[in-house]
Amino acid sequence: MSNKRIDQNGPIALAFHVLLTVFILAPLVVVVVASFSDKDFISMPFDGASLRWYREILDAPELISAFWLSIRLAFASATLAAVVAVPAALAIARHRFVGRDAVMAFLMSPMMIPHVVLGVAFLRFFSIMGWTGSFFAMVLVHALIVVPFSLRLTLAAVIGLERDAENAARSLGASRFVAFRRILLPLIMPGVAGGWVLCFIQSFDEVTMTIFVATPGTTTLPVALYHRIAFLSDPVTTSVSTVMIVGTVVFMFALDRIVGLDKVLIGKK
Amino acid sequence: MSTMSLRGLSKSFGNVQAVNNLDLNVEGGEFLSLLGPSGCGKTTTLQMVAGFLPPTAGKVLVEGEDITYVVPEKRDMGIVFQSYALFPHMTIAQNVGFGLEMRKMKRPQLQERVDEALSMVRLSGLEDRYPSQLSGGQRQRVAIARVLAIRPRVLLLDEPMSNLDAKLRGDMHVELRALQRRLGITTILVTHDQVEAMTMSDRIAVMTGGKIAELGTPQQVYDKPVSEFAYRFLGQTNEINGEISVSDAGSTAVRVGSASIPVEASEAPQGGAIKLFVRPERLRICPADNSKVKGKITTRLFLGGVWFYDIDSDIGHLRVSAPNLGAAQADEGETVGIDWNPGDMQVATPEVANG
Repeated sequence: MSNKRIDQNGPIALAFHVLLTVFILAPLVVVVVASFSDKDFISMPFDGASLRWYREILDAPELISAFWLSIRLAFASATLAAVVAVPAALAIARHRFVGRDAVMAFLMSPMMIPHVVLGVAFLRFFSIMGWTGSFFAMVLVHALIVVPFSLRLTLAAVIGLERDAENAARSLGASRFVAFRRILLPLIMPGVAGGWVLCFIQSFDEVTMTIFVATPGTTTLPVALYHRIAFLSDPVTTSVSTVMIVGTVVFMFALDRIVGLDKVLIGKK
Repeated sequence: MSTMSLRGLSKSFGNVQAVNNLDLNVEGGEFLSLLGPSGCGKTTTLQMVAGFLPPTAGKVLVEGEDITYVVPEKRDMGIVFQSYALFPHMTIAQNVGFGLEMRKMKRPQLQERVDEALSMVRLSGLEDRYPSQLSGGQRQRVAIARVLAIRPRVLLLDEPMSNLDAKLRGDMHVELRALQRRLGITTILVTHDQVEAMTMSDRIAVMTGGKIAELGTPQQVYDKPVSEFAYRFLGQTNEINGEISVSDAGSTAVRVGSASIPVEASEAPQGGAIKLFVRPERLRICPADNSKVKGKITTRLFLGGVWFYDIDSDIGHLRVSAPNLGAAQADEGETVGIDWNPGDMQVATPEVANG
């Protein structure tokens, strides 16, 4: 008998996990390594290291402005989605009303509908409404496609919550609104915040639909990168990607340190 | 010392009549319990009193003032929940001060009232802790302090002791009762725990099917209940089926098989079926000779403080309880006599089907 512990993986499971991890990480490693190339094209393996493609980012103002646009767009649409999701989650979780299932299905539907279809539809819709190139319209459609994420996490937080605390607050003299702001909202905050973070990431990352509605004035970073790689194929895309990978890791690390990732992503208390 | 009355209070959910035309007067300073099994309508009643549920019909009056449709925050009531419902993101002091803050009380006075409420429940010194740092018993005390701080007109307790372990619960009963007496605050307790209701209450309303089946002091509802329901729900009871027989001399008795049990006069007709109730502790084991009723002990149970004897007797299956005074009075399989005092065998009003 070997003295293998019961919580250890067998050799097959271990091999599977290693392969899976390698498979997930390999493309990221390739991108990071390629970004340090000194050639004019994306090359692997490279034979000369340089930081020229990082300097190059600074000479590409369209990428920098696309980055800020993406940040603003993600911020605004995640916030708008949260503003929609909180009352919707409260209504769906706590009341039985006509059309409840329909409202729920409608708010969740953007997750089911292919983004390509949404992209084509909104391209047409924007031009009819004269909204083409409007940042505000971009916020609306991004909020629409990210709202299911916000709704799911907020709903989980509301369903797990007893009404007693809110009732106790009412009985102690708090109006409906004060009880919401002082008691209910803080209690569901982990869910709302987790939903917001997911929405932010989804919006920032969205390219399939955005590519249809983006105009030269409203180009997001993923769309800008897509265009650049389609026309130029220089390693700037890899250096930008590396900056984003590092930025995300730092952001996630900070989030975990400050509030705990479990709390944000699973809505755990 | 606020009086409260419920007049014809009713609540239905779809086809289900949760509370059915309930009338109840609570005296100022009285401790009244709504006692009943789950689904009897006691919690629904409390929710209507607190203002969380609008009644289908009827009124809630406090000191004669109709508050039936007043929002909860304007009722000046304090409610303690089974879950305690503390605000987890606030400190103990903030929890206790919440009601005062809502009343726009100024800092120094608020501080004073919070200290006072916390000292009443013997929790001084824990002001800056959070609820998650306290034990179950301490959380319970915070919940009580939080409502006492606002000096409510009526105190509502919704199964507040159910989450405590047995020993702590017993201590809390005594302590809360003493506090309630000292403050003279009108209190309604909702519970399914009859020991809790009996130890704490001035009066108990035993509820079933959305109605009050029995109302009286703990001793009244236990010793001389009017309804069969209260007999069965409170404590243990023996039920004996027999028929009325009125003798020529005019005295009434109940015939069970060959035995005849004298009872107080009954309105039931000669030969009519009747049920008699008797508590196990009102029955005594005696020598079999010359006893009214004989029986054979089938099972003997030892519970520490008392013995239970299950006896197959002439008048049906009976349970007799006797205090443990050092030794058992009889063994299993022995034939014994059973005796009781006149008046301990009682007649009750049959349960009517709810409709």
